[in-house]
Amino acid sequence: MSQVQVEIQQPAPSEPLAAPTASHHRVRLPSWLTLLLRNHKAQIGLGILFVMVLLAAIAPWIANASSATNFVDLPRQPPSWSYPFGTTDQGSSVWAGVVFGARRSLATGFFAAVIATVLATSLGITAAYAGGIVDEIISLITNVAIVIPAIPLLIDVTAYLHSRSMLTMILVVGCLLWAIEARILRGQALTLRNRDFIQAAKVSGESTRRIVFGELMPNMVSRIAAAFILVFYISILVEAGLEFIGLGNTAKASWGVSLYWATVNSSVLQGEWWSFLFPGLAIGLTVLALTLVLVGIDEVSNPRLRGLPKKRRFAFRRSAA
Amino acid sequence: MRWFLRRLAFYVFALWVAITLTFVIPQLLPGSPIGGILQRLTPQQIQNNPGIILTYEKIFGGKNQPLLKAYWTYLDHAAHLNFGISTSNYPTPVSEIIARTLPYSIALVGISFILAFALGTTIGMFAAWRRGGGFDTIFVPLFMALGAFPAYFTALLIMYVVGLRLGWFPIQHAYGTSIVPGFDWTFIRSALDHGVLPALVIVLAFAGGWVINMRTVMINTISEDYISMAQAKGLKDHRVMTRYAARNAILPPLNGFAPQFATAVGGVIFVELVFSYPGAGYTLQQAALGKDLPLTQALLLVFAICPIIAIFIIDLVNFVLDPRIRAS
Repeated sequence: MSQVQVEIQQPAPSEPLAAPTASHHRVRLPSWLTLLLRNHKAQIGLGILFVMVLLAAIAPWIANASSATNFVDLPRQPPSWSYPFGTTDQGSSVWAGVVFGARRSLATGFFAAVIATVLATSLGITAAYAGGIVDEIISLITNVAIVIPAIPLLIDVTAYLHSRSMLTMILVVGCLLWAIEARILRGQALTLRNRDFIQAAKVSGESTRRIVFGELMPNMVSRIAAAFILVFYISILVEAGLEFIGLGNTAKASWGVSLYWATVNSSVLQGEWWSFLFPGLAIGLTVLALTLVLVGIDEVSNPRLRGLPKKRRFAFRRSAA
Repeated sequence: MRWFLRRLAFYVFALWVAITLTFVIPQLLPGSPIGGILQRLTPQQIQNNPGIILTYEKIFGGKNQPLLKAYWTYLDHAAHLNFGISTSNYPTPVSEIIARTLPYSIALVGISFILAFALGTTIGMFAAWRRGGGFDTIFVPLFMALGAFPAYFTALLIMYVVGLRLGWFPIQHAYGTSIVPGFDWTFIRSALDHGVLPALVIVLAFAGGWVINMRTVMINTISEDYISMAQAKGLKDHRVMTRYAARNAILPPLNGFAPQFATAVGGVIFVELVFSYPGAGYTLQQAALGKDLPLTQALLLVFAICPIIAIFIIDLVNFVLDPRIRAS
């Protein structure tokens, strides 16, 4: 599994000092989000992502659902006008497979990442905020969980599960990928915990619940979003990988399943490049898009990472509460 | 010393988790060790031999032992590297299959992953040193894109282009079909020849992560005062880059080595599968599909232990590179 591990930086929840003409009737986005939308890498990433989601959303209008998995025409046709991505060894349309597969692949990855993020956020923040023995225990478990390789474990688990439904896939992948995220968020919460505004809230006698949800969480939103994107693309890759080796529901269309059939029917050995190229590109482009957004977030929080000095410069200051 | 003890506690705990996990998962999940065997029999065969299930349970061990006793037996067996008999390769013992397949994986992953690390950090170092230059703008996005594609897709693509269209390297198995494994030149040559494509895939797929990681850390390091100091002293440019900036910047990527290795071990399963490379990953996939419980269990343990060993080695390297650890 290819991981582009992006170093997640110190938060520096930053906002432009002079918000020039903030019109009152417009909904104001969080400052990190507006900065992100101005970042070129993030723009490209969000653009690709938008196209992918759009394709998945309008799938029934641009492709025939039954041609994604069933026999529709002569097998092994190279790309043509009627089958833009060619046909598989089973005589189904690769285009329909990719478009309808996008729905399943994106949804599984997304919801698995949601589960992982919920687990990671609660564990990470609990560890950092509680400190002491609780922190030691959670950190130890997290560090061990990071080291246990997820894919062999997933192979083991999915091999013995009777159900191969999407829900099972989401649950299994989500519950095993929380650790990386938990470690990042714990580190993040740890630096925030000792900031003045948290200390001030403590001294003024606010309840723990209010400090965590009212003070700590709002300042971590950008970091949680970054960690979510990281796990989102890891789970797309992992899920496609499991399907690729035949441990998914091979009757349903998804990117991993398309690649599975391409290898099972040894399309590569017979020179049918179209049967694996397009689903693979779909996975790769989606992951690349998410990586670009992540790099964008990184560059926003650490301006030094940007390639060239920008003409327009922002003044940064640490936000207090 | 305190650092050392903490690390030792971590290894022991991680090892215990790995062993226990491989014990617990089959217990919790549906299916029995003999499921793989019974799958291959016809209903008539089972009906005609009423004692057959009991006999198999005796050979392979069933689920009817009390949990604690079963756990103890498992620990005992694991300590003696006795993992029972593979149901899909009956009657070969699991340990024998692992001994046959693991060396290929270790050689393949070990060499290519270290190559990926060296290549990635070197590119990251140059990219950061000449930030915004030609090298930075070409190689960083290129490796980022390569890293975004799943390893098995890169594998299929390389297999198609380099192996099939150009025909430069063999695309399947670990050595030629007519060659008997042994420590002679023909075998080693054949094995190296067959390893080129899988290794290339792993290097391409994993170098990208190191490029980004190293570049990020290196850029932060460059703005430190001691770098300006070194430059002010008039030291040669590449000396400042390697001895002052890179030496300090390499520590965070190095610490990320073990978690990355854990992911890589998983990725290798896919690469081995594509190239029908007879390593531990390919065997795990076959065993999982064939519901060969003893074999998957033992292989999972092997895969879980590999990163722990990697961490141990990284700790040793860290100990040499980072004087702060030695001092504490």
